[in-house]
Amino acid sequence: MAPHDKLTTAFPRTLPAERSAPLLEVENLDVFYGANRVVTDVGFALGRGKSLALIGESGSGKSTIARTVLRLLPGSARASGRVSFDGQEILDLPERRFRPLRGRAIGFVPQDPGNALNPVRTIGAQALEAAALADAREPRTARGLILETFAQVGLDNPQRVFDSYPHQLSGGMLQRVLIGLAVLPRPLLLVADEPTSALDVTIQKRILDLLSRLQHDLDISLLLITHDLAIAAERADSIVVLKDGAVQEAGSTAAVFASPTSLYAKKLHADVPALNPHRYAALRDPGVRRLAEIGQAPKITVSNVTKTFEVDGKELTAVNDVSFSVASGTTHALVGESGSGKTTTIRLLLGLEQPERGTITVAGETITGRTRRSMQAAWRHLQLVYQNPFTSLDPSWTVERLVREPLDRFGIGTKVERADWVRAALVDVGLGAHLVGRRPQALSGGQRQRVAIARALVLRPDVIVLDEPTSALDVSVQADIVAVLLELQAKLGLTYVFVSHDLALVRQLAHTVSVMRHGRIVEHGTVAEIFENPREPYTVALLQSIPSGAAAQIRTRQPRPAVPVAALGQEQIA
Amino acid sequence: MNSAYLTYAGKRLAQAAVVILLAYVFTFVVVSILPGDPITSVLRNPQNGFSEEEIAQIVAAQGLDRPVLEQLWSSLANFLTGDLGLSMRSHRPVTTMIAEVLPSTLILATSALVLALLLAVVVAYGTQVLPKRYGQGLLRAFPALFLSVPNFVIGLVLIHLFGFQLGLFRVINPDSAWATFFAAVTLAIPISAQIAEVLIASLDHEAGQDYIAVARGRGLRPLRLFTRHLLKPSSLPVVTVIALTVGELLGGSLITETVFGRTGIGSLVQRSVSTQDLPVLQAVVSLAAVVFVLANLVADLVYPLLDPRVKLLGARLPHARASNPAGATAP
Repeated sequence: MAPHDKLTTAFPRTLPAERSAPLLEVENLDVFYGANRVVTDVGFALGRGKSLALIGESGSGKSTIARTVLRLLPGSARASGRVSFDGQEILDLPERRFRPLRGRAIGFVPQDPGNALNPVRTIGAQALEAAALADAREPRTARGLILETFAQVGLDNPQRVFDSYPHQLSGGMLQRVLIGLAVLPRPLLLVADEPTSALDVTIQKRILDLLSRLQHDLDISLLLITHDLAIAAERADSIVVLKDGAVQEAGSTAAVFASPTSLYAKKLHADVPALNPHRYAALRDPGVRRLAEIGQAPKITVSNVTKTFEVDGKELTAVNDVSFSVASGTTHALVGESGSGKTTTIRLLLGLEQPERGTITVAGETITGRTRRSMQAAWRHLQLVYQNPFTSLDPSWTVERLVREPLDRFGIGTKVERADWVRAALVDVGLGAHLVGRRPQALSGGQRQRVAIARALVLRPDVIVLDEPTSALDVSVQADIVAVLLELQAKLGLTYVFVSHDLALVRQLAHTVSVMRHGRIVEHGTVAEIFENPREPYTVALLQSIPSGAAAQIRTRQPRPAVPVAALGQEQIA
Repeated sequence: MNSAYLTYAGKRLAQAAVVILLAYVFTFVVVSILPGDPITSVLRNPQNGFSEEEIAQIVAAQGLDRPVLEQLWSSLANFLTGDLGLSMRSHRPVTTMIAEVLPSTLILATSALVLALLLAVVVAYGTQVLPKRYGQGLLRAFPALFLSVPNFVIGLVLIHLFGFQLGLFRVINPDSAWATFFAAVTLAIPISAQIAEVLIASLDHEAGQDYIAVARGRGLRPLRLFTRHLLKPSSLPVVTVIALTVGELLGGSLITETVFGRTGIGSLVQRSVSTQDLPVLQAVVSLAAVVFVLANLVADLVYPLLDPRVKLLGARLPHARASNPAGATAP
């Protein structure tokens, strides 16, 4: 690889490589935010050129540990213990002495590429700062180096990227820019904090491939922060599983992944949809039987629907001649990446937009061509559960009022009846009666989403549209919500339209699938057909992007030299 | 400078011109419908001692005997040619009277604005880099403290301290450099407090953004981080605030000029109000409208230059989205 060779010769590593000693060692690390202890007695070691994944759910302290290593903790945080990097204690190092390490020796790839570059400065201006770390201060050398790096990370038109502002590039391109800027000064360690969680699956895979390749080519150690066990298993040599700020289990990826010993790691393993495609087979069965029934009219029929928007004076066909039907009591999944038209499709289905062409019927009633007023009647049978339970519930309302609102709105039942129905809906979604007086603030993410489901359920609709209902939630919470949804379907015979970009999740709970791309349905079929026998290359690409921990399984077969992870006496803290 | 920006600037300029004209008409109408007609209240006031002959002369010269609409029309036509009429008191052209005092006020207001900006940026910088425990609390109290102290109190304290106690300037020589400086400080403090308040809030917000952490992770020094990364995005809301405070600058200069005994637009207004010199008042109010509209025009024109994300009305984005090897575009 020519650009890489040039990079190496132009900026040779100056630091002595004591290859045997770990590059990064963390021992007895405690981090406090005020009086709150968020990290407890954490220890691990990362060898040179190796990769280590810190894995855990929100609140597990994984990002805090990453920020401690980078010394980017907010002022209110206090860290104690030992963090040694390349033989140097960095926790007590004065800021003045640590700053030269930043960027130069320790690179950082952040979580959300859309927010990681200064929006009012060009990418070139920010890239020059990174080039200055590589001692390329002369503008022409620096520019050349940046353009080479951009090409190296797979950006098509480096010059144009250099001149662009961040908002002019897509998320995938921005993450490539950020990775390029992080590796440009040839650091010894790259800290990547959920580098792909804000990206589409196919892009996620490409970015992870890029990170792995650079790590290997440039001999960089990688500290990968992730919530996804499957990603960790594919990309890291060793894994540290965290919960509530403490290490639950640590070891080589092969060991942790193949035979987890701690309860938490086992549960985590069981909750990752990609690793357990048939977990809910029993709950899905009623739907499978319904699907097989012949001669039954479908609950939802969407035929030849087209919707066009005008964007910047150009016509954009968001939904192009889309047709599908959903049998009563089954789940139909709309799968696609951002911009594929799945959100517009459900907006049309809900009657929030009117299509230019085509018709949609739900439970025998035509949705298309209705006035706002006559939509009211249809909405009783057609409810939506929104993506993000952290923003979809009015924070000043109590749970009781939130769930009762649809009844009030439609004027259904007496006061006593309404109270009964609200309680029944809460029981259905598994929320205790003691929560009725709470406000969303006092609920967890999973509880909030249950409230949102109860709210949809209280009208006893036939159809519930689920717009990425678990994408804002942790995997273990996601598993709970999926179980609730499937139980409700089995019990009440609900029909779901499930929108998701997560194919593994779709496989767990859907009966039929439409794969969307650029506003069209490229492939349609039952879950078995799509997942076991995909016909379209795009579907195949999507399926291959699902992280499955495949690499970890290969690793188990060819044992590697001892991975320098010291568990450091971390037993289970239950 | 691309054509989209020029189209946008042209539209904004035209809008500004319309607003200025409307403001002029509005002032004229308000002055006309105010209780008390100028002839009886000013000219026939025995204190002023005009003879009937003189009154007739003034009425004819000012055109006060013509219908209101006609007066408005000719006054508007004169306004457009830069003729603001004659003062009722001194019979001198209002344009000349304003031209005499305008430079002094402009010097005061401009130096006050510059001082206010400097002070606000320094205070805001301090809140970002000083250790939490020591300096920050004091600096964060600055805006609230100085917003609540009236302008004239600051002026009196400064005159007392630096004029009488330290003898830096002679209070009876209001045009000396020191006197101008302290007058400007008096005017600047409340305005800088407003700017600092918005700037600090904006800095706090931006400092919490990921891109600042990433830039820090790139090893930037605090001062560089502040000037290169934080200041520009944080100053976007400040641009709006500055445009709004220009009005305050005018009002404040009235008080400050009185306290420091300076001549300027403020003292002119004060005199004209007490003598009900309507042409002068009309001119000064229109001038204030012009200044205010211009300040907002400048803010509107600067904003798209500072923030590339601003979409100009009706204009296509200057760059097309670059080709996209990584797949999807943001929604």
